[in-house]
Formats: sequence, structure tokens, C-alpha cells
Amino acid sequence: MNEPRPLPRRRQRNETGRSGEARFTPISLILIGLLIGVAGSLYYTWIVDPVIYVDASPARLRSDFKAEYIFLVGQSFVADNDWPRAQQRLNLLADPDIGQTITTLLEQTLRRGESAERARSLALLAAQLGETGPAVAIFAPTIAVMPDGSPTSTAAAATATPTLTATPTLPPTATPTPTATPTATATPSPTPRPAYRLLSQERVCQRTLPAPRIEVITVNAFLEQEPGVAVLVSWEDGEDRFYTGFQPELGAGYGDFLMAPDVSYSVVLVPGSPVVSGLRIEPCPANLGGLPGGWRLTFQNLTIPTREP
Amino acid sequence: MFSAERLGTMGWLAVGLLAGILLGLLVGWVLWPTQFTDADLTVLQESYRRDYTVMIAANYTLDGDLMGARRRLFQLGETDPEAWLLAVTVETILQGTAAPDAAQDVQHLVRLCRDLGLYSPLMEPYLSSE
Repeated sequence: MNEPRPLPRRRQRNETGRSGEARFTPISLILIGLLIGVAGSLYYTWIVDPVIYVDASPARLRSDFKAEYIFLVGQSFVADNDWPRAQQRLNLLADPDIGQTITTLLEQTLRRGESAERARSLALLAAQLGETGPAVAIFAPTIAVMPDGSPTSTAAAATATPTLTATPTLPPTATPTPTATPTATATPSPTPRPAYRLLSQERVCQRTLPAPRIEVITVNAFLEQEPGVAVLVSWEDGEDRFYTGFQPELGAGYGDFLMAPDVSYSVVLVPGSPVVSGLRIEPCPANLGGLPGGWRLTFQNLTIPTREP
Repeated sequence: MFSAERLGTMGWLAVGLLAGILLGLLVGWVLWPTQFTDADLTVLQESYRRDYTVMIAANYTLDGDLMGARRRLFQLGETDPEAWLLAVTVETILQGTAAPDAAQDVQHLVRLCRDLGLYSPLMEPYLSSE
């Protein structure tokens, strides 16, 4: 009669516990723990204490540091002329389209109005990687560097618009056929790779006076006029030589030679270049005065100059 | 003896939690760690930082911008950038100039060291040829 009755609250708690044990099987408890554990540790490893790489490659660099890295690779290439080394450095960026990346960088550089030196450096790399485009054409002379480090000309687009290119397949002829447009014939030069290439060949015409002369302009790899280059002019029974740069008022790399009527001349640069032959006094077109005119040859040095500070 | 029946609710939960933590650590630190792609120059491997230093010196030979060279050296994150440059120069000289471009690298490095007022007796032969 006086037997104490269990409290309803306690009885209720016991019921809950029993029903809880019945709902959560060991497997479900393990899964709940697993989920909580994975979530917590991922938060810790990804957010709180992530892996910090201290031995990273240039591929992990931020874009502005990558741009600086590429620029320095270009400058080093200009300094040492070692293309395999430059390629090796660029490969560290692990960029599958590095040529396009450099071209884009070059265009950004130009839009920001940065230095021409920076643009040239990037354009050189882009040209080496086979990229074309206006910016590359303006700032990079068409130079490819052989694996041994020596430069040679390529068939890529030139910076100017050459009117004539060397045609090495033509047979050598003693007297070139007179035509309105003389043909530049590449003859074997003493060195396997000429130091200069023919960048352009144009008519020289004046409206008021005859201009029977051969004008030679020499430029360096960056298209800056280059003085002091010896030019050899030869004809059937004679030859003469002159140097560029003796008329600085006409350009640091300018030199000319007066032509005689009915004589066919050949021109070659003494340091090595294609021979341009069949140069004669030709009448200029009527819209340019119709008077006798000569020829202007522009040669580009294929060697990249190293600049001292 | 271990008895599965004696573990109870908290025991099974703890087993799952422990397994989850271990799995999470494995995934987060080993299998699928955070990939940083916006790193600065300070995290570069030492060999790459040395090569970068050589490129800084080559660029200085071309542009003669001493402040620019200083700024770039500073970006490498060394506590003493000039000591780092001198160390790279000395190491490059000690490695010899037989490797392609090594002689040019040394010239570039020595020139930058000289202009920053740094000196090592090893630089002497290159300074006299400057």
C-alpha cells in the first residue's frame, strides 16, 4: 500500500533511452561519427591548416609574377641568345599555350604603354614560339635561333613589307634578264648563315630629278639603323665598296652609290648577305615622275645585339 | 576481452568519429590538399629562386636599372637579399664555368654585385675583366 510508485518522468526517460537504442544501430552510429569526423578534419586541413608548398615551381606563381618571370626569361634570352635554355624556363610554367600567353602579355604591355624594351623582349619570345600578329611583327625581327644558339632567318612575317625575297632556286646567270623588277638571287655566301638578310627592295624615284642610285640601309635586329657596314657593289668589269653611316642626315645606316646607264649591278654586304643582282637604272612609273630611278635595299642584321648598361 | 555489446551508443559514435577524422586528414592533407595557384616568389624552390636571381642579373646587364634589380631581389623573400645575391654569385663561380652560359651568368651576377657594393675575393678575376 505504501509501496512507492515510480515517477512518471523517470519512467518516460527510460522509455526514450530504450527506444533510442532501438533506433540507432551500431552501423548508423559509426556513420554519424564518420560524417562528423570527416567534415571536421576537412575543415581543419583545407581551411585552418592547409598544406603550404614551400618548394613550388613557377607554374604556381600568381599571374603578375608569371608575367615578370616571362619578361626575365625574354631578357635573359636577349642577353645569352640561348633558346633551349629559355624554352626550358618557359616549360616550368606548365602552360600548354605559352605562345598565346606571351602574345597576350605583349599586347597588354603595349596597351599599358610600358617600355619598348619590355615589348621587344616579349615579342622575341613570341616570335620564337611561332606566334604572329601585328605586335609581334612590329617588335620582333623574324629571327630563329638554331639549337647551337646561332640565329638564322625564318619565313615568318617580317616587320616591314618586303617587296622581294631571296630566291635561292634560281640558276646563276652571268647576265640577268632585263625586267622591270630585278630578281634577288641568293648565291652561296662564304659563311653558311649570312649575318644580314634582305628585308626589302624598293624603287627610288623622284618627281623632279633623276635618281640613278643604289641606296643601302642597314638595320640591326631591332630595326634600328646600323652604321659602319661595308657594302660591295660589283658590275661586269669592276667593283667598288662603300660604308653606311657617312651621311648621317639621311640616316645612321644609310649609304648610296651612283649608277651608270646600261650597267647591271650586284650588291652584297661584306659581313655576309644575299647577293642582290640585276640592278639597273629603270624608268620610274609615270605617276612617280617617269624619270630614271634606282633601287633602295634594306638589310637587317640577324644577330641580336647585347646592350651594356 | 573486447565486447561489441559493451560499447554502447557513445562508443560506436567515437569509433565512427575517429575513423572520420583519420579519413578527413588523409584526404585533406595527402590525397586532395588545397592547391595554391596564386603564390608569390617566396615559395619557389631554391633552385628556381637561384635561376630567377641569375635572370635578374642578366636583365640588369641589359637595362642597368639598379633599383629595379633591388626590387626584384627583395621580392624573393630573403631576409637579406644582398647576402642572397652574393651567395648565389659565389655558388655559381664555384660551380665552374664549364656549363653552357655559366661564364655569362657569372659576368651578369658579378656586375650586379659590384654595382650593389658587394664583394667576394672570388669575384676578383671577373672584376678585372669588367
